[in-house]
Amino acid sequence: MYGNWGRFLRVNLSTGEVKVEEYSEELAKKWLGSRGLAVYFLLKEMDPKADPLGPENKLIITPGPLSGTSAPTGGRYNVVTKSPLTGLITMANSGGYFGAELKFAGWDGIIVEGKAEKPVYIYIKDDNVEIRDAGHLWGKVVSETEEAIRKEVGSKKVRIALIGPAGENLVKFASVMNDGHRAAGRAGVGAVMGSKNLKAIAVEGSKQVPIADKQKFMLTVREKINKLKNDPVAGGGLPKYGTAVLVNIINENGLYPVRNFQTGVYKHAYEQSGEAMAKKYLIRNQPCYACPIGCGRVNKLPTVGVTEGPEYESVWALGANLGINDLASIIEANHQCDEFGLDTISTGGTLATAMELYEKGYLTDEELGDAPPFRWGNTEVLHYYIEKIAYRKGIGDKLAEGGYRFAESYGHPELSMSVKKLELPAYDPRGAEGHGLGYATNNRGGCHIKNYMISPEILGYPYKMDPHDISDEKVKMLIIFQDLSALIDASGLCLFTTFGLGADDYRDMLNAALGWDFSTEDYLRIGERIWNAERIFNLRAGLDPLRDDTLPKRFLEEPMPEGPNKGYTVRLKEMLPRYYELRGWTEDGRVPKEKAEELGIAEFL
Amino acid sequence: MLVKLFATLIEFTGKRKLEISGPKTVGELLEELDRMFPGFKKELERGYIILVNGKNIEHLRGLDTPLSDEDTVSIFPPAGGG
Repeated sequence: MYGNWGRFLRVNLSTGEVKVEEYSEELAKKWLGSRGLAVYFLLKEMDPKADPLGPENKLIITPGPLSGTSAPTGGRYNVVTKSPLTGLITMANSGGYFGAELKFAGWDGIIVEGKAEKPVYIYIKDDNVEIRDAGHLWGKVVSETEEAIRKEVGSKKVRIALIGPAGENLVKFASVMNDGHRAAGRAGVGAVMGSKNLKAIAVEGSKQVPIADKQKFMLTVREKINKLKNDPVAGGGLPKYGTAVLVNIINENGLYPVRNFQTGVYKHAYEQSGEAMAKKYLIRNQPCYACPIGCGRVNKLPTVGVTEGPEYESVWALGANLGINDLASIIEANHQCDEFGLDTISTGGTLATAMELYEKGYLTDEELGDAPPFRWGNTEVLHYYIEKIAYRKGIGDKLAEGGYRFAESYGHPELSMSVKKLELPAYDPRGAEGHGLGYATNNRGGCHIKNYMISPEILGYPYKMDPHDISDEKVKMLIIFQDLSALIDASGLCLFTTFGLGADDYRDMLNAALGWDFSTEDYLRIGERIWNAERIFNLRAGLDPLRDDTLPKRFLEEPMPEGPNKGYTVRLKEMLPRYYELRGWTEDGRVPKEKAEELGIAEFL
Repeated sequence: MLVKLFATLIEFTGKRKLEISGPKTVGELLEELDRMFPGFKKELERGYIILVNGKNIEHLRGLDTPLSDEDTVSIFPPAGGG
């Protein structure tokens, strides 16, 4: 087999058993790898109704067939599991160097099962796998843990995926971190790792990923790297200003969410934009493994010193969404979230919910006592409550359950800007209705990554679509974006390659690496299979499409109050039935037997 | 009209905001900016996002989109992220 090794590492933490799980090329041809194979294993082996924080949940960590190769951005890995935040499947994705190193060690992934009696970490050096005591690491923040493990194994080469205190304390939006500031961030994968008493996975590898046609692969990769370098976004704006280059664009387009999505225009946007960050704090870029783009930011502040980030999403979640405009405080808060292992989007979204509850008088000073009031723009809130959430102290214990459950506990779940209990990212869907349909139908809840309709609706990739067009053309484009995202995740690449590359480019690289002769349609079919399989997992976990494929009431009933999208809501009711139909699903959003048979996944229904 | 510039265009012109009056269309405005900052149009050769009062000119009348002195025009080089 090429590209993939054809084997997973299976570690049962309850029994301490370590096994090699081999699989056939036939299976790889069906699921490709990473997100694809992980979803397959999860569906095959786990009851979707299982308690996400119980030992029966599985944590599957997978690089893809192009991870660890010279393919541009080929360093990504997915963490696939059942989310404690949403109760549905999640596939959190991260860059850095860990995914590539796991591949160098000769593994297509790790399936972690059960629960260790005491804190442990897994140390992998090629075929040698040890489960080691981590009692002395429990409680340590991310940078301290990395340093301690690095010393312990005596290697500078070791790459580590780990949790901070937030994961240990089962915060429902805890991340799995790697390479310091890189996060598999969304929907609480860090809490699942914590629930297994697993502090870290440290890995070192010495192998080269097997490539079917090395010469052809090298030439193909070179061509794609040139395409990316010549693209004005991948080779221009992103390396120069990082992802926060979006702050001004999204704000000028009137969909930059402010104060828990109460409006879409922020007068202080420039102060926290990528342009301002580059001018004031940036010292260098930080590319991930094999990445020609290098969007990662390394900033320096007197308070926290040299730190990585924040990304566009984090700038917004810890900034405008809370009415905060001080960029230094935002960078500090991002650093704190990384050290504790917290998802910045959900942290910001949860705090924004608390602020609106406070503004409306549902959350009172009496309850807060000496703690800082949840006033918009109060930077004290950031530093104080981020720590309280990570350690579940005081009201932090309630906030650690996520914005939806927090708002629900005050009788106002509608004040949580979340879909399927996952806090929304930095685009008000009233300014990009196709993106709104994406939030509503995303398998892991309110996330932008797996259906980035901002690309056509705002940025003009692959071509410009009217943000308020809700025709079938828009719905079809969303479906292509969803399937293509699944394919790119399954390949082990970064979604930013879509600025510069199209579906045919992925086909070229995959065929050369894997030795297959698949068409672009064949590969997109794999993406469709993954999307449908995840949907089946969710349906079996208890998803009720007609209840759950929706948006917060605010976007459906409260017109945008100002700016270019003034007066707009999201016409979800008109788009959703079209989406179901164009997906080949039933009128109530279920995957029918015929569709499942067509995709070869009927066994999972 | 208020013209707002972003990303590399700030470095190119040394300005974030400008008050300009006279141009009757977006095309005329670009000509004016090219006169003020020679090479401005070349900077946009690989693409642009131009908004008039927050609306993309792609959904208005493109470079023929009419302008008045009360308008705000935001000009970006191609950009993305997420």
